[in-house]
Amino acid sequence: MVTDIRSDKETLLRQTIARFVKEEVLPVAQTIDESGEFPRELFRKAAEMGLFRVRYPAKKGGAGGNNTLFCILCEELAKGLMSLGAITAMQCLMGSEFLFRFGTEEQRRKYWEPNMRGERVSGFCLTEPDAGSDLGNVRTMALEQPDGSWIVNGLKTWVTLGAVADHFTVLCQTRADRKMRGLNFFLIERTRPGVALSHKFAVLGTRNTQIAELSLTDVALPPEALIGEKGRGLPNLLSILAEIRTMTAALALGLSKAAYEASFQYARERVAFGRSINQYQLIQAKIAIMATEIWAAELMLYKTTAMIDARKPCMREATMVKYFATEVACKCADEATRILGAYAYSMDYPVQRFYRDNRFLLYGGGSHEVLMGVIARELGFV
Amino acid sequence: MRFIVLIKQVPDTAEVNVDPATGHLVREGVSSILNPEDRHALEAALQCAGQGDQVVAMTMGPTQAVDVLSEALGMGAHRGVLLSDRFFAGADTWATSYTLGKAIEHLGPFDLVLCGRQAIDGDTAQIGPQVAEHLGIPQVTYVTALRIEDGRVRATRDLGGTLEEVEAPLPALVTVLASCNRPRYPELRKLLAACEARAPIQLLDAADIGVMADHSGLRGSYTRVVKTFAPKVGRETTVIEGSATEMAGRLVAALREKNVL
Repeated sequence: MVTDIRSDKETLLRQTIARFVKEEVLPVAQTIDESGEFPRELFRKAAEMGLFRVRYPAKKGGAGGNNTLFCILCEELAKGLMSLGAITAMQCLMGSEFLFRFGTEEQRRKYWEPNMRGERVSGFCLTEPDAGSDLGNVRTMALEQPDGSWIVNGLKTWVTLGAVADHFTVLCQTRADRKMRGLNFFLIERTRPGVALSHKFAVLGTRNTQIAELSLTDVALPPEALIGEKGRGLPNLLSILAEIRTMTAALALGLSKAAYEASFQYARERVAFGRSINQYQLIQAKIAIMATEIWAAELMLYKTTAMIDARKPCMREATMVKYFATEVACKCADEATRILGAYAYSMDYPVQRFYRDNRFLLYGGGSHEVLMGVIARELGFV
Repeated sequence: MRFIVLIKQVPDTAEVNVDPATGHLVREGVSSILNPEDRHALEAALQCAGQGDQVVAMTMGPTQAVDVLSEALGMGAHRGVLLSDRFFAGADTWATSYTLGKAIEHLGPFDLVLCGRQAIDGDTAQIGPQVAEHLGIPQVTYVTALRIEDGRVRATRDLGGTLEEVEAPLPALVTVLASCNRPRYPELRKLLAACEARAPIQLLDAADIGVMADHSGLRGSYTRVVKTFAPKVGRETTVIEGSATEMAGRLVAALREKNVL
């Protein structure tokens, strides 16, 4: 007699989010994408379900999940609408993690809790016109004043949610000699004098992510705007880099599956020369290769997330899966456009969106040209 | 007040096909879901429940049916009860409703039992009424709206174009339609907590609830499924009437029901 039976968290979460996507996201995905607007209603629904709390401990106001569950959430949302997956990932991870893990009680109460409730949208500012993966070149300067306050000047670009976020976690340099230990994170509210939306990008894909450039001109910050211990910005950033990369891989996996499923269904329905096109070997090969590579990406991803959850070092694996899963997503979207032919060329069907959205994944978490070097270094090759 | 919601884990019929050779349902690879109308019953209970009230979700099935209880806890139910025993296997609606009735009695006093009108795998719509008969309480079926007032349940019944307002003393049983409400999604924190060992999910077997083996499962059933087959249906004509807007709405609803949309 079984006396202790419980559901599997991963299965249950996946089923729940898949149903949410089927009922709430897919019916409006096309319209939302075309609008280019921030999907406020879906954001509200996601908050209502407590999705933003997924990776935080239950005892501290989270949902009691982990990185694996977070990635399942990202994957399933991305299957429906990549923009929603990316926005949720930003709200869950980069926009909230530093506040939660390194912030003060006051910062958690004032910013992290509203983030979790979806009352505030959070952004993350790292990239600059001349600095992205090259963090040593960050030029946004936060100068400490005699009274402990800060004055910030600089330009941050490619800020996901930059046009709509209520506050930002901003990486700044605090030392004139620009040593890495001068890098620090600050919490900057949009309403601070000197914070300006200098440019909103028109983008190829993920049209709802409100990617923008922010200029920071003599922005005065109180001492308590500093997030974490002074001088710990870089280690704090590096501590979540593996999670950023697996999250990106999860978004890629979701997109790959969406492209695969669209291809699979269409190829069984479309008739050419008297038989459905799934009877043709060239189409069979495309489907077989897509499915195989998706499986490989999935195995890599969840093997790596399990390592993160077990607190095992896995920068190499996380970098590999970010690269691999994203390339698979690009390939699946490309193959889907070939299988669906002109229907993929039409803006009336979702496959064109997969084809455009996958480019977003190429740059976030490190460009693949940079990541190849990271992997080589992690292998001890150089 | 105590609300008991009877829920069922069913195959997602949107994914089920019939093997044309054998006539059997092909269930391999088909996911299991919470019966849709039961979700509305749970939502109705959660909306009726006030501070201090208790909503208990109860299901009968194999151990994997615990998933629908976890979902119910995720939506806000306070407690889950899984009736699982090899003696329960193969039960028809009579044996099932008898077992459910005994389990409800085992839990003690209650005020309202709710369930969906019918399950999408059997479509019998018999369980709710039969449980009410076993318990000897009033039943209100096909409910589209309900509220509790002065110790009575007041409900609106949809009789296929005609609405009927009825009331019954508590304890009572209601079966609800999908039009009753819009169910909430599970809250992630509660959903994950429902998977923890300390989650308030109770497993009861035949001995626990005092059900004799001869009265449950296949042995306690009065009916047997002799054969399952897909009927050969020729062209079926349905006339849709009404204004253009109404006709369009009904057409879309009909296509959705057939999983065309």
